[in-house]
Amino acid sequence: MHKKIFVAAAVAAFALGAQVASAQPKPDPAKAPNMSPGAPAGPGKPGIENSIAHCIGCHGIPGYKTAYPDVYHVPKIAGQQPAYIVAALKAYKSGERSHPSMRGIAASLSEEDMKQIAEYYGGTPKAKEGGK
Amino acid sequence: MRIVLFAAALGMAAGVQAAGNANNGKAKAAQVCAACHGSDGNKPSTPDQPVIAGQHYDYLVRALTDYKIGRRNNPIMKGFAAQLSRQEIEDLSAWFASQQSPLHDQR
Repeated sequence: MHKKIFVAAAVAAFALGAQVASAQPKPDPAKAPNMSPGAPAGPGKPGIENSIAHCIGCHGIPGYKTAYPDVYHVPKIAGQQPAYIVAALKAYKSGERSHPSMRGIAASLSEEDMKQIAEYYGGTPKAKEGGK
Repeated sequence: MRIVLFAAALGMAAGVQAAGNANNGKAKAAQVCAACHGSDGNKPSTPDQPVIAGQHYDYLVRALTDYKIGRRNNPIMKGFAAQLSRQEIEDLSAWFASQQSPLHDQR
């Protein structure tokens, strides 16, 4: 019963993520700066909203726990060292780390995406909530 | 199916209450972890090492266990975690989880 709900939720989350990603394809960062002078310039860094959309469903919810394959708190990533966040994402992508959801998400990220995410979570002003 | 649900409930219960002894963990941390992570887990010696102070207890237990059994493959951490007993992993996790830290839950 619960398992079915978890599976359905996971499938829905992945489908949603895929839809968001395909609806707004990311520009090639190498070509982006002077590719099309007439293109509208969006506010902020392009792609960051798409990138962190992958993260907030689990890491943005205080006390959130993994549902599969084992149950434990997802780690706090805000305030973490940016270089460690990139290293962790690469390790998931390569298979060195094995959490199924994280492997799926990391596999879809470019190195540029990873750096943006790391800078977003690691580079933001620290809210002094302290440890728990 | 029932076994899965029971195991899940057990996991949740374990997550709520830290089973480790933070004082014992503090002593062990000074010997094993402090050189790289800082004695309270707040001073990573290189940028690609994590802050572990204030991290969730059950996540730390999981990470150390994964290093110990080879589910995570960092050669440095494997060397340290391999020598830790289950009790020591819980003690260390209780110590680091209870320390002040810049880590938080911001989306």
